[in-house]
Amino acid sequence: MEALKMENITKIYPNGFVANKGITFSVQEGEIHALVGENGAGKTTLMKVLFGMEQPQEGRIYVEGKQVKITSPLDAIAKGVGMVHQHFMLVPSMTVAQNVTLGIEPRKHGLVDNEACVKMTQQLSDKYQFGLDATATVSELSVGLMQKVEILKALARGAKVLILDEPTAVLTPQETKELFEQLKLLKKSGHSVIFISHKLEEVMELCDNVTILRHGYCNGSYPISELDERKLSRLMVGRDVILKIEKPDPKPGKPVLEVKNLEKLSDEGKVVLDHISFTIREGEVLGIAGVEGNGQNYLSDCISGMQKYDGGDVLLNGKSISGRRISDIRRSGMSHIPEDRMTVGCVSTMSIMDNVMADRFDRPENMKGIFLDQQKAIAQTDALIKEFEISCDDRSEEIRLLSGGNIQKVVVAREFTSGANFVLANQPTRGVDVGTAEMIRKYLVRQVREKQIASLLISADLNEVLEVSDRLLVIRQGKIVAAFSKASMVSEDELGEYMLGIKTMTPDEMEGLL
Amino acid sequence: MNKTKRIENTFDVVRILIAILLAYLIALIILALISDDPWNVISLFIIGPFNSKKHVGDIFTLMIPLVFTGLCMCYVYAINKFNLAGEGAVNLGGCLAACVAIALRDTAVPGWIAIILCIIVGALAGMLSTAIPAIADQVFHADVCVISLMLNYILLYFTTYILKNVIKDQGASVTASYKLGRKVKLANLIPGTQIHIGLLIALACVVFVAILFYKMPFGYKMRAVGVNPSFARYIGIPVGSTIILSQVIGGAFAGMGGSVQILGMFPRYKWESLTGYGFDGLMIAVLARKNPVLVPLSAFLIAYIRTGASLVATKTQIPPEFVSIIQGIIIVLVAAEMFLSGWKKRLIFSAAKKSLKEKEAKA
Amino acid sequence: MSALRIGSFLYSVLRLSTPLIFAALSAAICEKAGLFNMAAESMMLWGALIGVMVNGWTGSVWLGFLGGCCAGVVTGLLIALATVKGKADLMLAQIAINLASGGGTIFMLYVVTGDKSTSAMTIKSQSLPKIALPFLKNVPIIGRMLNNQNLLTYGAILAAILLMIFIKRSRTGVHIRAVGENPNAAESVGISVSRTYFLTWAISGLLGGIGGVFMSMGYTSAFTKNMVAGRGYIGLCASSMVRGNPIGAMLCAMVFGVSDAIANQLQLTNAPVDLVMMLPYAVTIIVLIIISVIKIRTHVRKIKNKASQVV
Repeated sequence: MEALKMENITKIYPNGFVANKGITFSVQEGEIHALVGENGAGKTTLMKVLFGMEQPQEGRIYVEGKQVKITSPLDAIAKGVGMVHQHFMLVPSMTVAQNVTLGIEPRKHGLVDNEACVKMTQQLSDKYQFGLDATATVSELSVGLMQKVEILKALARGAKVLILDEPTAVLTPQETKELFEQLKLLKKSGHSVIFISHKLEEVMELCDNVTILRHGYCNGSYPISELDERKLSRLMVGRDVILKIEKPDPKPGKPVLEVKNLEKLSDEGKVVLDHISFTIREGEVLGIAGVEGNGQNYLSDCISGMQKYDGGDVLLNGKSISGRRISDIRRSGMSHIPEDRMTVGCVSTMSIMDNVMADRFDRPENMKGIFLDQQKAIAQTDALIKEFEISCDDRSEEIRLLSGGNIQKVVVAREFTSGANFVLANQPTRGVDVGTAEMIRKYLVRQVREKQIASLLISADLNEVLEVSDRLLVIRQGKIVAAFSKASMVSEDELGEYMLGIKTMTPDEMEGLL
Repeated sequence: MNKTKRIENTFDVVRILIAILLAYLIALIILALISDDPWNVISLFIIGPFNSKKHVGDIFTLMIPLVFTGLCMCYVYAINKFNLAGEGAVNLGGCLAACVAIALRDTAVPGWIAIILCIIVGALAGMLSTAIPAIADQVFHADVCVISLMLNYILLYFTTYILKNVIKDQGASVTASYKLGRKVKLANLIPGTQIHIGLLIALACVVFVAILFYKMPFGYKMRAVGVNPSFARYIGIPVGSTIILSQVIGGAFAGMGGSVQILGMFPRYKWESLTGYGFDGLMIAVLARKNPVLVPLSAFLIAYIRTGASLVATKTQIPPEFVSIIQGIIIVLVAAEMFLSGWKKRLIFSAAKKSLKEKEAKA
Repeated sequence: MSALRIGSFLYSVLRLSTPLIFAALSAAICEKAGLFNMAAESMMLWGALIGVMVNGWTGSVWLGFLGGCCAGVVTGLLIALATVKGKADLMLAQIAINLASGGGTIFMLYVVTGDKSTSAMTIKSQSLPKIALPFLKNVPIIGRMLNNQNLLTYGAILAAILLMIFIKRSRTGVHIRAVGENPNAAESVGISVSRTYFLTWAISGLLGGIGGVFMSMGYTSAFTKNMVAGRGYIGLCASSMVRGNPIGAMLCAMVFGVSDAIANQLQLTNAPVDLVMMLPYAVTIIVLIIISVIKIRTHVRKIKNKASQVV
């Protein structure tokens, strides 16, 4: 029987971004249904629609054959849809039982009946063999157990359909195995599970059916038995637009950035960068491809000096950046296009001029004695607005009033003209329009070639890494798992297989390519 | 300028004016209700400050310390740290300046040097006052607001201790220090009023702060840190030291305010309670929207309200403290984003629709 | 020191701690909801003034008590209104309310009585009764300490215990804690965050208001201007020492009560009065800094522990 059906769902965000276009998919009772697709393919949006966090422009949702309207998460819960978010919605200082029963606490004499809470939670945990201690405090639990608490929370509220958003991203292999056992058990008891994942071997192992999303469209639903990993990967990754950037062959000069055995532990103590080494030379772009959340942001933060690293070293122009201030690192040749342009890359309530001049207002050439040289700042800003075709009223316009693409142009304009010989570009074209993205990519390539600077491009967009990079590395779970000397010779299928963990190169194979 | 921005700017000014008017209206209603002679009281409150040369002079005289503390709070508010030690800094600055004046009174040191020394000591005292909460906050992550409020009491009792035990003139009939001496008295600027050259010093400070805010690297750093610390860090601005330094510089102005007030207005030092200038300063900074150039204007406004209130107080016994109710209402209304926000949205929305229509018409 | 003197010293500690305990509890419930309560100062001032006024009008000390409570609650709700509905900055709104309350209470006192500094001459108000506990009479030290305290002193201890039960065991209390730690989690299971904030401010106001009533109808028997004198902030400090645990906040408030009591004792000697008056505030600052340092240390240690577990 059909537990749930989403029909012809279209979701357009206020800024005009089409996240879902006419998507239809259905989940049977007692099945585990995988929802796969690249970043930005529309999986999260679709699930937000299902869970009542976003309202679609078009489309219908049916639960057990009846058409329903889901307007809020509470509504979704009432209709038997539960969701386990990637960021857990737990209260750390409370016990498992308190978390599971939050908002639906049984009461006795006007007070919360803790015993009943514990009993109810423990029964539920035992029924599905979760092995949780209902009286344990959540903050003391491992991530894997916290996730089980989340699942119990949904079950305690009577969820028949469970959405799991990349549940294995935070789990160890053992925990993953355990989770799969439990999901299979849930399936047996008649629950349906929507399993969102990048990891193909997991999808193959666990799921019954799979729906593939690509660029907001549905790319078909298939029974797993009809697919193999290779075929699935091709359905997921494939490219629609081939962007060609003409570029002469690189003439690599002396090394600019050397990363040696870099190690980093996250605040939670997880190894997020695992002995990463590579070198970037003058006049070349090194691309790092990978599914998001595999350590790219830690890598970017460690190289730019925003975070300290726990082992190994990063040398910029022959000098270690360890323990140095960011202003110092920038002076010695670093420029950095951050992933998050709104909170890190700019000050949204200051003018274009203030943003463009942010890293250079106090350089001697921009000063008149002890004062800022207004004239020079104006001249430089106007020149950059013209060169980068930033559409705005004038240089005094506040950044927040610009479009996303134009904001990114301001950031790019500043970072490319800072006089640095190394540009760290982390997702430089995410969320910007096609035209601006193309302009930024071409500009990056031209600068590297003409000025013989070095660049590290971190991107989850395969088009981008393949077109822009000279050499290419693939990162997975904080490790470099593949290296290619010529990015233009790599096919997207092959890249996809390394990114998704179907293949891994041995250290010998990568020797000399790092 | 961008249309949306223009609407927002106009809207901000209108909003502040409406907040002030509303608060005033409430005050007037209260005054009218409690007074036997409401028209007289209200006219005293509103027109009184302008009805004689002396009263206008009073507004400007009161403006002097308020400009100083307003500048202090501009710094504090610009980096989003509610360090209120500026209040105690006024007392400490005044007290220590008085000590210096008394020590130099019977020496051969010329008056202008003595005055400069007094003001410098006042500034240093102010810097020390705001530095303590600033450092406690940045280094130990103790809440800057609570520490500064506690510190105000400590500074108050410390200065009263000095007053009663170090510089007290036993011959005086009330608790007061020795005479500060004629040579440190700040010269009168306009005869017939109490306006002294402290006003010029205050305005000079406004110019200096405006230059520092908008024309010098440190001002830029400060504004960036205040609005978006993670950006500031990313671009290479030393966030922690900028935060501490701005508070310390701000404190200098509060301390100067205290010393200038003592030298300009009083023959002896006799503060035994907090002056309230520091808290007024926060309000001035809020009204001036952290812009030092607007500080004299909003200081004038507060001075006008306070002068009106004290006129009411002398004629009718109504305590001038009712002004603090007006101030509280104004701050809350200006701080509350939602206050009149529906109206703003409608304005922006209709402007956007209009420009869309224009574009369509062109096409 | 004789047992008697120790006993009477402890008696005054308890007496001086009472308003601090209420202030600390008022801050504690806010802390549990993830809010920073600097406005206990205002709640107490209004509680103190309105309590005396209602008492004077009605002649009933109990109605006065009730009036003081209501005044505190209204103050709390005003903050909620400005910050939750009006989206004003919490710090700025509380500073404004404290500013307005300092002057506002004086103004109201004048409006009602014509006096600008105290209600002692003009309003006939009583104190809440002291309670004799005869069975303690002959117990050394403890007897002297606990016997004959004001009703609200026992009330403070009781309030701490009740608040503890409320936070730990009542449904609303659990919801307040959930909102305080993870508003998203609370919202996702249907707990209204803004309603919870309003409720928290109301309870906080109630506790602050009672603290104020004690100031004017227990500690003294009249309202005097600025009589709260930073006790709200000291309470806040006590609560943040123990992260809002009510019983802990009460004990910490008593520690500050000790410094108050010592200051009081020293004033009787010929130590300089003003320096002695600094003592409670100085102790607060130092304690606040020490707690902050400890908090950082334990945080760092936790991260390190977790890291080493994984490795």
